[in-house]
Amino acid sequence: MRILLVEDEKKLSELITRTLQSESYAVDAALDGQSGWEMAESYEYDLIILDLMLPNLSGTEILRRVRRRNQAVPILVLTARDATVEKVKHFEAGADDYVTKPFAFAELVMRVKALLRRGPVSRATVLRVADLEMDRLSQQVKRSGRRIELTPKEFALLEYLATSPGRVFSRTMIIEHVWDQSFEGLNNIVDVYVRHLRRKVDDPFPTKLIRTVRGVGYGLGENAEA
Amino acid sequence: MNSRSLSFRLVTWYAGLLTVVFVLLGALTLLLLRNYLEANLLDIQARRARQIADTLLAAVPRTGEGALARQVEELYSPEANDRLIRITRGDGHVVYASQRPKDNNFDPGQVPLPSLSRSGEFSRKELLPGGALLVAALPYTPAGGSEHYLVEVGVSNSPTEATLRQVLLMMAIGLPVALGVAVMGGFVLVRRALRPVEQLGRKAEEITQHNLSERLPVVQTGDELERLSISLNHMISRLEGSIESSKQFVADASHELRTPLTVLRGELEALAQDGQLRSQTRESLGSMLEEVDRLTEVVEGLLALSRLDAGESRAHWVRFDLAELAASTADQMSLLAEDKSIRVVCEAAADVIVEGDQARMKQVVVNLLDNAIKYTPNGGKVRLKITREGPNALLEIADEGIGIPQQALPHVFKRFYRVDGSRSREQGGAGLGLSIVESICSAHGARVEVTSTPGKGSRFRIIQSLANNTTVHAHS
Repeated sequence: MRILLVEDEKKLSELITRTLQSESYAVDAALDGQSGWEMAESYEYDLIILDLMLPNLSGTEILRRVRRRNQAVPILVLTARDATVEKVKHFEAGADDYVTKPFAFAELVMRVKALLRRGPVSRATVLRVADLEMDRLSQQVKRSGRRIELTPKEFALLEYLATSPGRVFSRTMIIEHVWDQSFEGLNNIVDVYVRHLRRKVDDPFPTKLIRTVRGVGYGLGENAEA
Repeated sequence: MNSRSLSFRLVTWYAGLLTVVFVLLGALTLLLLRNYLEANLLDIQARRARQIADTLLAAVPRTGEGALARQVEELYSPEANDRLIRITRGDGHVVYASQRPKDNNFDPGQVPLPSLSRSGEFSRKELLPGGALLVAALPYTPAGGSEHYLVEVGVSNSPTEATLRQVLLMMAIGLPVALGVAVMGGFVLVRRALRPVEQLGRKAEEITQHNLSERLPVVQTGDELERLSISLNHMISRLEGSIESSKQFVADASHELRTPLTVLRGELEALAQDGQLRSQTRESLGSMLEEVDRLTEVVEGLLALSRLDAGESRAHWVRFDLAELAASTADQMSLLAEDKSIRVVCEAAADVIVEGDQARMKQVVVNLLDNAIKYTPNGGKVRLKITREGPNALLEIADEGIGIPQQALPHVFKRFYRVDGSRSREQGGAGLGLSIVESICSAHGARVEVTSTPGKGSRFRIIQSLANNTTVHAHS
């Protein structure tokens, strides 16, 4: 899978490249609009990550040109502008997804994966992490074969963590997916729910699955330090 | 009526000046009238005296003084005409003096004799118990005679006084009437002249930072008021410009901060997830990430505020049940409360339908509830109440926290305001939560109020008008 990254902030570009490379994607980075457009023209990328405010040629213009050539490549727009009007405008111009700065890199990776996977990949009905089993249809959770009763919110939280075992999710990401944007900034609600979840999912068992990375967030996986 | 209002003051001054002018004019009129009337009367008396002298006294050297009295009585009958006629010889002997007049206005005996040595006509005013007497005197020496006489003819001044009293009475009645008419007319005129000022004032009152693009109506009177309204509009333009640029600055600065924050966060996150780190390093990385979080929160909050200030589109406006929204939000946050053993008592009326951006109003409830839970001690109670009150929806959130000191109340909605630095810091938050609440409310035309009893708790109230049942919403 080859990704084109058009981002003029050198450091950010390097960081995104590194992050995506560690997920085994090949990344070509362009630091200005003109070279970005030339690269997009000369190679069939699997995904384009596009910043909007670019020197020489704006991201909006690149978006329009790519779509005019009818390329079906998914485009993820990356920007510091997030007024709703702007979002709508770019979705109409053919963007597939939108990430606003500042974003958590885990979030970016998730979006990239989702865009590349879009279509054929079905959502598994049963999620498994170590000895934890979640049935998405019946909303049942078992660990080592023992039933665990969760409230719907706790289930949603655990399910979100289980979609990508080993990854650490920021509290902002968790809030956006499990609650909604009105709860933004209400990070303590995540802490409280994780504490409750731990009591039910981890406390009765010798191995702990829920992981805390201070300042980053929470994840699900084996060999978690409590 | 307000005694400091411009129209009141103008009319008062106007009435005062008018009164002074009227009084002066009246006094002058009376004075001139009196002088004229008296001079006129004296003139008549003087002519009579001359007549007596020319016809009667002139004959004295021939006929003697004896016939004088009879002749005067015959020709002038002074008693019947209410006159004083007295003829005195140079040696002080009164040759003739009329009796009391019929109207009994004066007593001739009480009229003192003037100096007999004066030459030439003269007149005087004698003040007697019955009233003033105007006397014209004429010294006269008949041709061919050796004696010198003084002829005096006097008349009571009371008819003049009566006329003057009459005029005074007319003035006393007429002046207040004229004054009243003038004041009322003046009041109407002033009111009409000042009406544009009131209009300007009302319109200026309506202009807040949210509708600075509006302008005052230019009163096209061609006078000072027109210039004033134009000047005010220019001032509003300048204000709009400077507020606009300060908003733009906040928005730009926040945008500019976003990219470095993203890089910072990304680098730190990548480091923090390295399993090989010493725990001390991990701790400081975590602490840095927490600070990045806080910075991000401030930047996001400021951006949200600048967007609200700029006036969001009403594209997301729908009708919704505020009670339902608040109750479900409270439910979603119940675990936060449970964590501190706080009881959230929710009292929601049915069908509190309002119009607005649901997500935004939810944010209001979230922010207020979060605060209430934060500041209520463990085991306390938070009350949430949604009711209808007349044409309004009322949302009330009361906590049992430490409360807000009276002097801090007007400031709690200001950006970055902290009642007490140390306390709020430890509770976290960017110091923008309540500002956002207020901005959202004002964008919805809602009012937010806060009352508090230190030590007992605070109460926030949001008053928003209910959606109108008859109109299907037609917002642009």
